[in-house]
Amino acid sequence: MNVLELKNISKRYGAIQALDNVSLAIAPGEVVGLMGDNGAGKSTLVKVIAGNFAPTSGDILVSDQKVAFHKPLDAQKAGIEVVYQDLAICNNLSAASNVFLGREPTRRIGPIKVVDYAFMRSKSAELFARLKSETRPRDLVHKMSGGQRQAVAIARTLLSDAKIVLMDEPTAAISVRQVAEVLNLIRQLSDHGISVVLISHRMPDVFEVADKVVVLRRGELVADKKASDSSPEEITGLITGAIEHA
Amino acid sequence: MQKKDIGLGILIIVVGAIVYMRNPLFLSPINLGNTANLIGLFGLFAIGQGFVIMTGGIDLSVGSVIALLGVLFVDMVGKFGVPWPLAMAIIIGLGVLIGLAHGILITRFRLQPFVVTLCGLLIYRGIARGYTAESTAGFPFGSSYPQLEWLTIGRSFGVPHSFLAMLIVAAVMWVVLHHTVFGRHLCAVGKNEEAARFSGINTRFVTVMAYVICAVLASIAAIYFAMFTKSVQPSSHGNFYELYAIAAAVLGGCSLRGGEGSVIGIVLGAVLLQELQNLVNLLGIPSSLNFAVMGAVILLGVLADQQFASYRTRKNTERALGLLQKP
Repeated sequence: MNVLELKNISKRYGAIQALDNVSLAIAPGEVVGLMGDNGAGKSTLVKVIAGNFAPTSGDILVSDQKVAFHKPLDAQKAGIEVVYQDLAICNNLSAASNVFLGREPTRRIGPIKVVDYAFMRSKSAELFARLKSETRPRDLVHKMSGGQRQAVAIARTLLSDAKIVLMDEPTAAISVRQVAEVLNLIRQLSDHGISVVLISHRMPDVFEVADKVVVLRRGELVADKKASDSSPEEITGLITGAIEHA
Repeated sequence: MQKKDIGLGILIIVVGAIVYMRNPLFLSPINLGNTANLIGLFGLFAIGQGFVIMTGGIDLSVGSVIALLGVLFVDMVGKFGVPWPLAMAIIIGLGVLIGLAHGILITRFRLQPFVVTLCGLLIYRGIARGYTAESTAGFPFGSSYPQLEWLTIGRSFGVPHSFLAMLIVAAVMWVVLHHTVFGRHLCAVGKNEEAARFSGINTRFVTVMAYVICAVLASIAAIYFAMFTKSVQPSSHGNFYELYAIAAAVLGGCSLRGGEGSVIGIVLGAVLLQELQNLVNLLGIPSSLNFAVMGAVILLGVLADQQFASYRTRKNTERALGLLQKP
């Protein structure tokens, strides 16, 4: 069974063919490194999967069921979560508040509903423990390292029982030590049976965690192979076009 | 209670102690009662302003709203004989409409809060002056409204009801800000609207509600002010009040960049402002200087807060470095 399957996805913007017959299957717990030069169609592909816009043609299957996403919320309901680089976190709130942002648990005191802080803290502590992260629920996010912020963003996806997490350049702006932390988080997700699509320019990061490497060039899928059967040199060749196909 | 609130509380006590030593009348029941009344009146709408500031916006129309709705309330009750509970409901309803108008112009039409509410400031003041033809609105000679007066300018055990009303509003808004989902969303929208939207929060609704809360509290304050002054002079009533509200909110720890603030802080800010007014009166400083005193104290307070914060960070870094070097 595949968590996500794309069948002949094409996306056109007027005369521009952003995606051309892309087919891809992702198994549960699989980590896929999605690579390609700027303008190769990576972001378009991610936006199609995340429901930001519909493909011109082709089918998307989630757990072997055909789906049609009209808006990002549809994709979220189907178990597809996107971790945005910096966007989705509020610096002035605690880690626990951020994990539950937009989905705050409440309890009743008489006629009014109040936010259940105790539950938020204990549940997010549990999520951080599952991610083997040392993030503390009460800490304010603006005092955290880049790696810890990623842990907060990823904990959000665990809360919603995501099947597949799309990560857009999660290691672009953080220190070397924190990169290791983020890669660890990705492994944790994979161990929990959650598939990860890692969009990155950083070759070593992709080869460190990915089971499978996928390369896009000018909207076409030119490679879809096991990371262990490939090499950074080959992928570089595929990205630039020095190697036609793999 | 946050650290900032405690600091502000200490400042209030220190200033109070100094004033008391120079003039013991400061702690006389009459002076305390009058000051409490003013704290109540100004605190009411400062809390609303704080909510708007927490969304990263600002409401400059508060003073004009107090003048316009004050004129209308006095005229409805005094001139047209509308029963006062109905008049009160109409005034608060108008507050809701004004807040909705501000909020919708800001979120749907994407105008800047400063511009929208600056226009509001001019428009409401202009309507108030035009409607009354510059004449003072007042109650007919000899009229009295015992229940309305008890509710607004009455006192229980020496405590003015305006102050009690402010405490009730503060308690309700404290729960709303710190313990409801709406309060969480307000802080999130103020700091990072994009993140809030990505998290599925209806950011427009949250922003509009903040302006509605502000205008409704201003309309309640308008009734209290109208009853306190008994007559409303449309060109001067409520002048600069929005600035008092902004000053109280900023003193109370609200960041003009949004996302930060506490209800206790705003109330303490309102207390400090009135204490300074009182200081000017009691210490015999010419009352023409009261704006200068207020401005200087706010500036010093904000400066000191900034300096303390950077001092704390420096100390913390030094301690951390010391721990590293020990072994």
